[in-house]
Amino acid sequence: MIAILQAIFGGIALLGAIAASLSKSSYDKLIGIGLLTGGVIPFVAARGYLDVAIAVSLLVPVTTIIILQVTGPEEER
Amino acid sequence: MNAEFLLGLAILAIGTAATAFPGEKTYLARLINLEIPSFGLFLIMLAFDEMLALLTFVGVTAISTFIFVRIMERRDDR
Amino acid sequence: MEGIEGQIPLILTAGIGLYAAIRIVAERRTLRKLPYLNVLSFAVAASVALLIPHPLALAAAAAYFVGSTLESNAIASAYAGGPERQ
Repeated sequence: MIAILQAIFGGIALLGAIAASLSKSSYDKLIGIGLLTGGVIPFVAARGYLDVAIAVSLLVPVTTIIILQVTGPEEER
Repeated sequence: MNAEFLLGLAILAIGTAATAFPGEKTYLARLINLEIPSFGLFLIMLAFDEMLALLTFVGVTAISTFIFVRIMERRDDR
Repeated sequence: MEGIEGQIPLILTAGIGLYAAIRIVAERRTLRKLPYLNVLSFAVAASVALLIPHPLALAAAAAYFVGSTLESNAIASAYAGGPERQ
């Protein structure tokens, strides 16, 4: 993977980490986790671990759905 | 010193700071912020080519999140 | 860096992903963020499929696409009230 693509996907992952850590709402935090996942998956695929990429991309939404069971209803803003 | 290792260190630092000092001090915010350093540690394991560690770590993270959610439902305060 | 002419579609899809990520971070309302999360999943799935010339890369791209669509739909459904609070 060339350096431009590493910079782009690294930027996506860093934007996701910062957005997930700084936002107040639980739903915004979960959207930030999804953004972070989208930045991490191409690094896994570019090193050749395609089965690890399949496992991660199927297990992370399961974790998100488990966390969504305990988030309360969104307050009206 | 490749790109995955440096990116993993940066995400691990951000996520650890966000988990230790969350914006609002609830268990749910800490649980969601705990996902961020797990991805940082995942990238560091990827930089050292540990494939079995990657698969085991992702599976155990999902199971431990499930256990934490069950505990938070049983305590019934968020 | 002589092979950059063959990498133009990959750079284009990654650029679309970066644009969607910036729009997600810059947007204020939660429901406006979810379509751009879908755009990001399109772009990342295309990038994974273009990144490695291997048959299993198609399966990885399909798995990421299914997982990300499921995740964003679950967030939208829980935000709208969930199936049990109707």
